[in-house]
Amino acid sequence: MTQRPMIELKDVHKYYGDYHALRGINADIKAGEFFSLLGPSGCGKTTLLRTIAGFEDITSGVVMIDAKHMEGVPANKRPTNMVFQSYAIFPHLTVAQNVGFGLRRDPRSQAEKDKAVAEALEMVGLKGFGARAAHALSGGQRQRVALARALILKPKVLLLDEPLSALDKKLRENMQVELIKLQRQVGITFILVTHDQEEALVMSDRIAVMFEGEIAQLDDPETLYRLPKSRKVADFIGHMNFLPAAIHGEANGEIEVEVLGLGRCHISDKQAPGAVSGGEASIGFRPETLTILYEGQAATDRETTGKVEEVVYYGDMTYYDVKLDGVADPVRISMRNVPGRPVLERGASTRVAWSASALVLFR
Amino acid sequence: MKSNGNGLLVYAIVYLAFLYAPIFLLPLFAFNDATIIAFPLRGFTTGWFKAMADDGVLKGAVLNSLIVASSTAVLSTTLAIFAARASTRFDFKGKGAIMGLIMMPLVLPEIVMAMAILVVFLQVFGDILGLFTIILGHTLVCTPFAIAILSAAFQSLDKSLEEAAYDLGENKFSTFRLIILPLVLPGVVSALLISFTISMDEFILANFLGGQTPTLPVYIYSQLRFPKAIPVIMAVATCLVAVSICLLIIAEYFRRRGVAKTGGKDTGGFL
Repeated sequence: MTQRPMIELKDVHKYYGDYHALRGINADIKAGEFFSLLGPSGCGKTTLLRTIAGFEDITSGVVMIDAKHMEGVPANKRPTNMVFQSYAIFPHLTVAQNVGFGLRRDPRSQAEKDKAVAEALEMVGLKGFGARAAHALSGGQRQRVALARALILKPKVLLLDEPLSALDKKLRENMQVELIKLQRQVGITFILVTHDQEEALVMSDRIAVMFEGEIAQLDDPETLYRLPKSRKVADFIGHMNFLPAAIHGEANGEIEVEVLGLGRCHISDKQAPGAVSGGEASIGFRPETLTILYEGQAATDRETTGKVEEVVYYGDMTYYDVKLDGVADPVRISMRNVPGRPVLERGASTRVAWSASALVLFR
Repeated sequence: MKSNGNGLLVYAIVYLAFLYAPIFLLPLFAFNDATIIAFPLRGFTTGWFKAMADDGVLKGAVLNSLIVASSTAVLSTTLAIFAARASTRFDFKGKGAIMGLIMMPLVLPEIVMAMAILVVFLQVFGDILGLFTIILGHTLVCTPFAIAILSAAFQSLDKSLEEAAYDLGENKFSTFRLIILPLVLPGVVSALLISFTISMDEFILANFLGGQTPTLPVYIYSQLRFPKAIPVIMAVATCLVAVSICLLIIAEYFRRRGVAKTGGKDTGGFL
């Protein structure tokens, strides 16, 4: 993967009348990257995708694709192609006509174009489907046709607007893996819009989390999950427990904090990735970073005590809501169900192991 | 419940009988060998059809009507494509008011329009009454119907289909030609047929604006004064019914093909 930015967004603003849809977007998207725009509906992620595609004008700022200014360049002249949420398969054409639609102005011979269409269909696993009527396809097949139709033009950037949201869970998970493979195979920059945090984590090299027209955090999935910069991002991606905390000092790259229910501990200043907001400090941790200790098991680091309030059994996992001693709100702890570990019952008292290295400080 | 259902069945039969029984009587008397329209029937004859075919004025009227109806159909459908496209796809100032005014002829009394147009034509252009003025009047009346049909067709188009074509390198015009037009084609055919049919049997405007040029309905009305001519009119009417059924079949064929092509659900009814 080269480090040259394929797309540069500089202070992009977009107004719809009085509504400020994009509030100063800055981002570099690298060539060959699988990049996701993640956020709740109405956060501006689709608007941003459409401004890159050229379907929406921006009010101010700069959009550059492959080092070229895109101002005044319409969608049909941009080196981008889009897979629409509804797939936008042309219902009156065959599968092959759909896939080959973008080649109409291509100077190559018909035989060469037919070959390109066949190759594109094979790439998305629809070999031999060319003669079928497009409207007779299933949801998953439509999506493959939409992909083939966009990729046949060898765009510099492929834009995907919630491409998996119309599929059922199983198919969606399969398509996620297929899309990743496809992206590696063609090496094209993919930009995916999604509201599904799991989908974004699974598929992306980097994710921009958007709230209310702004990018709240742009990082790789692991950093985003482990070190969210704000409580809002932490809450949106997976589950995070929060406990009130008080900061007692900061020295030599370490911060001393007093956490309600856990006690006093030292954490690295890297565990406080967010900016200082001046509000009340709190400590966050993921459900899987705590461990419910069974009888006689020793904690590897620190431990505290609590009472099980709720038990949710998921088969491979059990989620416990545990009320730590001295804390009003229960925290969620997830445990893998392995042989020999009994599932606790509601009301049981338990010891909980934790480690300061898994905490995140928001201040 | 059962008796209730039977009541509705009777109602349906009575309704359909009232609607179609008079029409079934037309061919009966058209082939009846008598000048008086009454039972019992006399003998079988095709004489009235022969008299119809020999009637030069009638043929002229039919030709006039065909010219008027086809021109009106093409003109009003073309205008309706523009209006329906504009109103479903774009937002512009005064859209509601403009569309409301365009659709107004649907509810305006035709006689009022006929008189108003007649006065304007005579005052402004002098005596120009003829087929051309009838076509103008009919276009005014037919366009709202065509818009209503085409708006539904354009409305059901997914906007992202256009964007996809544009994204794949087409321009606005080729997108319209390659994607939009084929997908609204069933609507276009429906609009053409409806405009044609409305224009074909329109009487008031044709009577006011035609001057000395009679269309078929105007001619038929003028002939009703002569009892002798009535069996010929029956023959004409029989032909009209036959043509109408043919048009209906064509329309239904195109509608079903359109539904099958786009993979939509068949909801029945050709409009």
